[in-house]
Amino acid sequence: MPDEVAKRVLVVDDAALVRLYYRTALERAGFEVAEALNGVEALEHVLAERFDLLVVDVNMPQMDGLSFLRTLRAKNLPLSSIPALVTSTESAPRRIAEANAAGANFYIVKPLRAETLVQYASLFCGARHG
Amino acid sequence: MPLIRKPPSAGSGTATPAPDPTALVDALAHGNDDERWSAARAAADYPSMVPALGDAVARERSPAVREALFSALARIATAQSVEAVLPFLRSDEALLRTEASDALLAMRSAAGPYVPALLKDQDPSIRILACVLVRDMPSRDVANLCCELLSSESDINVCAAAVEALAEIGESSALPALLRCAERFRDTPFLQFSIRLAIERARSHAPSTRA
Amino acid sequence: MRQVHVPEFPSLTQDEFRRLCEFLYRRTGMIFTEAKRYYVERRVVDRMLATQAASCEDYFARLRANVSGEIEQFVNAFTINETYFYREEHQLTCLTSDLLAARLSAKGRGDPIRIWSVPCSTGEEPYSIAIWLLENWPHVDEHDIEIVGSDIDTAAVALARAGVYGKRALMRLPPRVVDKYFAPDGGTSWRILDELRESVRFTAVNILDRAATGSHGRFDVIFCRNVLIYFDDIARRNAAENLFENLLPGGFVCLGHTESMSRVSPLFEVARFADAIVYQRPEVPKRA
Repeated sequence: MPDEVAKRVLVVDDAALVRLYYRTALERAGFEVAEALNGVEALEHVLAERFDLLVVDVNMPQMDGLSFLRTLRAKNLPLSSIPALVTSTESAPRRIAEANAAGANFYIVKPLRAETLVQYASLFCGARHG
Repeated sequence: MPLIRKPPSAGSGTATPAPDPTALVDALAHGNDDERWSAARAAADYPSMVPALGDAVARERSPAVREALFSALARIATAQSVEAVLPFLRSDEALLRTEASDALLAMRSAAGPYVPALLKDQDPSIRILACVLVRDMPSRDVANLCCELLSSESDINVCAAAVEALAEIGESSALPALLRCAERFRDTPFLQFSIRLAIERARSHAPSTRA
Repeated sequence: MRQVHVPEFPSLTQDEFRRLCEFLYRRTGMIFTEAKRYYVERRVVDRMLATQAASCEDYFARLRANVSGEIEQFVNAFTINETYFYREEHQLTCLTSDLLAARLSAKGRGDPIRIWSVPCSTGEEPYSIAIWLLENWPHVDEHDIEIVGSDIDTAAVALARAGVYGKRALMRLPPRVVDKYFAPDGGTSWRILDELRESVRFTAVNILDRAATGSHGRFDVIFCRNVLIYFDDIARRNAAENLFENLLPGGFVCLGHTESMSRVSPLFEVARFADAIVYQRPEVPKRA
């Protein structure tokens, strides 16, 4: 039985083209998408609306993605445990470790493929096959 | 009694005579959080404080004080203050990299001359940060710098950052570089998507298509 | 002689509209959806004429470079500049529902509650705060409350002190409230009652002047609406740092509803309440 309510994804990245690419792929797959371009804006969204998944870039102005995640995880609210997929241009193990320590559920090196993003989104949002 | 009107409040320590830079350096090194914050803010008026500010950033653990230190450097906005900020772009701490990048953006004019070299840096992460700085430069500079980068750039994410900057300006002179980049990275869907969009923008603003 | 291209209406292609929206979103945080397209296009046409831009492209280049504060000029049309009593009432609700309670739990007995309205323009905002508290806060008699209104425009400050307003400024106030706190002043104006007028202190201040803002002391709540959006990056940081200094640890700052600290400064924590998102100076010094 299909879910009645669409799953909501917050895309956090300061590159407009990245956000557009992710939005296009996710909406086509039936997700609702909101955007933020830095960690402060991401916090504003997360505190105001329900999300099922966060896709978070690391390097952004004002507040980076890992600082955003740390702040979110430290809040001790139900929304503090929203799954977070961290994306980054960096592939060094210490960067991945840092992201995990900050509260990432998963880490993907950019650039993402649309299908990969949708697969992970479906996985995190409890999709069924078929 | 509700809503009483009080006489003017005592200041929070700011109605003081102009501080002497030596005292500021001392406060930056040895003061408590409030003292370091105040010293950082006051230092914005003293270009000679740049070395002390740079040293303080390296040591500082309080994000608020660090923010004030970077603001002071950005307000001073000399070549020296740019050079004091640049090393922090390479930090292992994401927040520190963000703060340094934001400080450079806040002193765009002073940072501008350094951007071409940053675009050629060995570290792709620095080249990406440089593309973010490029975004706010005049269109012609964006086109020249990004096209030059694209002609020899091998890192996909750096190319994507340059395409992002080009997509905003939509200069038709960028078309050849964009087309060649698309050819080089045919297997990267995101880059194909970005370049397609940037090309559409560049084409729609080409002189021959203006009504 | 330079040819001025008189834009036909509408003048933006789908992609031009999207590019403009992306740029404005990046720089100001404002989101313009398809629903607002008509207003955006009209504004572009207005600004192209005002700046004598030769084409849409020319105008966008001007906007990108922020020539003569063009971004601020553009955005200005979308912020309601008219000031009136009980504007953005949801923030007043937030004040009495949540912010004051949060502040009281952090304050010592007998400490006054200090609220700052800056910029205050001709005084509608600080007087609104005073009236709102008297009408809506059950604890208003239990605490000393100091309300300060400040603006860079000395003429506006003088008008604020005089406390005389026309019908439009009062349009959101229930008639009962007007009767209670105002006296008719000539045929078309109302004057705030002296007791209330004397409850609010007005000063002239430039929010970018650290010594001037500093002399106002520290506040529990600052209303700083529709001014930060008009500053460039470095001025925004400076203003944000001044506001930070003017807040007690744990104090709150409220921005205009189209504004966000995400385009201004990371100094403040985002705080969400039922009626508003506000920004808070951390309770203890931020440590990495």
